[in-house]
Amino acid sequence: MSRIRSISISFIHMLKFVKKDMMLLAAGVSPVMIGAAIRFGIPFIENLLVKYTGLPYVMEPYYGLIDILFAAITPVIFCFVAAMVILEEHDDHIDRYLFVTDLGRRGYYISRIIVPAVIAFVITAALLPIFGLSDQVVAVEVSLAIAGTLQGIIIALLVVTLSSNKLEGMALTKLSSLLMLGAVVPYIMPKPYSYILSFMPSFWTGMMINENNIVYMAACVAVSMVWIALLGIASKNK
Amino acid sequence: MIQVSNLSFSYTKKPFIQDMNFEVHEGEIFGFLGPSGAGKSTLQKILLGMLPGYTGSAIACGTECNRHDQDFYQSIGVDFEYSTMYEKLTARENLEFFSSLYRQRVRSIDELLSLVGLENDGDKKVTAYSKGMKSRLNFIKALVHDPKLLFLDEPTSGLDPTNSRMMKDVILEEKKKGKTILLTTHNMQDATELCDRVAFIVGGKIFALDSPHNLIMSRGAAKITYSWLDNDIEKTGSCQLDRASEDVTLKGLINENRLLSIHSSEPTLNDIFIDITGKTLV
Repeated sequence: MSRIRSISISFIHMLKFVKKDMMLLAAGVSPVMIGAAIRFGIPFIENLLVKYTGLPYVMEPYYGLIDILFAAITPVIFCFVAAMVILEEHDDHIDRYLFVTDLGRRGYYISRIIVPAVIAFVITAALLPIFGLSDQVVAVEVSLAIAGTLQGIIIALLVVTLSSNKLEGMALTKLSSLLMLGAVVPYIMPKPYSYILSFMPSFWTGMMINENNIVYMAACVAVSMVWIALLGIASKNK
Repeated sequence: MIQVSNLSFSYTKKPFIQDMNFEVHEGEIFGFLGPSGAGKSTLQKILLGMLPGYTGSAIACGTECNRHDQDFYQSIGVDFEYSTMYEKLTARENLEFFSSLYRQRVRSIDELLSLVGLENDGDKKVTAYSKGMKSRLNFIKALVHDPKLLFLDEPTSGLDPTNSRMMKDVILEEKKKGKTILLTTHNMQDATELCDRVAFIVGGKIFALDSPHNLIMSRGAAKITYSWLDNDIEKTGSCQLDRASEDVTLKGLINENRLLSIHSSEPTLNDIFIDITGKTLV
């Protein structure tokens, strides 16, 4: 109970901290804006393109792909905000102090990465049926939310492990967000060549939607877990 | 309160902390003295459970440091050498947050702020604090949960003489309340004044461990240096304080009232450190 209490306090403190930073606050509210832009903007553009080109569809075959990317956006943004807070706390030596309080190292990372990731999962699972473009069954929508959340955790760990300050962290977030592009590969690259990028968790999410087979989700979770385990070890040794 | 036996640790294949043995008793102020890179901070990290990969044994508050549970930190307060505060928050907000992480009853924030002369600055943002103010705030942060064991790393660093005195008085007050204090410092004067016992650490090894008084006395008694005029030329002589009556020249000069000056001096802990370890505290 004591651990849960200190984790909650630490997480609430992070929210107050983010509230004071306009850039991080803006990042935190952006998923709803992005969701609305996708839901209403993409079909509108699709209509214009269909009228202009005379083709039966232009972007529609890729609606599933857009949903994959949207499912990853909320967790990635939330985890990016958390990673920035972690890096700022690292710059100010606060993390090392928190490790030797009741919160502890594990509690600190739970409050900074796992709790935001879980919240991002809930928000994604709630927003996907509202803003999603492709008609997916609930199991697939939940799977997309899980895959996005794992992606967010991986990016946060990459940023925290490989960068030594907030500035480097921002640069690295942009770079590591490329991991999301693995989802595009099954759409544009034929088998077996596409498997070259199978180390990217999002590749398997792309496979799941492109081939309409939820079994690929197991591979996505397995690959994500390997990434998280390796980055967890690396961040501990940092 | 702390028992360390056959403790060794290494960051690489090369040994760093080597076969250390010592105990720190309850209610004692124990000093780690040594130059930069001697292993003081590593030792502190081991005792704080932050470096679990050691061999031998390091027990703090009855718990083996690499097998501690979260309750371990209820009894420990740490004042790192560097500031560990949220700069965008006020001192009071910082203390409120850190104290809220502990489940036991915490000390009054107003009382702690006045303890180090920050009672009028509690609502200022930490970013507006001077180095000395941050250092005092950092120190009281370690006291918020009233821990039994305190780790203080250079607590008087960056403080002016008045605030340094104030800080040392607070440390001695905490000792009176029964707290065990581990002090890491380069400052030999602080160590002499505050510590019941000190350990000289160089290259990951303890070179000497005793009370500052015993260490000083072990290297000879105080010395007397005197001078006199001999045919208008100033001459000097010296002898050990406890053998002054055997110095014929000095006795003669006293009898003839010809002493020009006389001074006594005893070795400092710094002299003893250099003498024992062959290193300076840089």
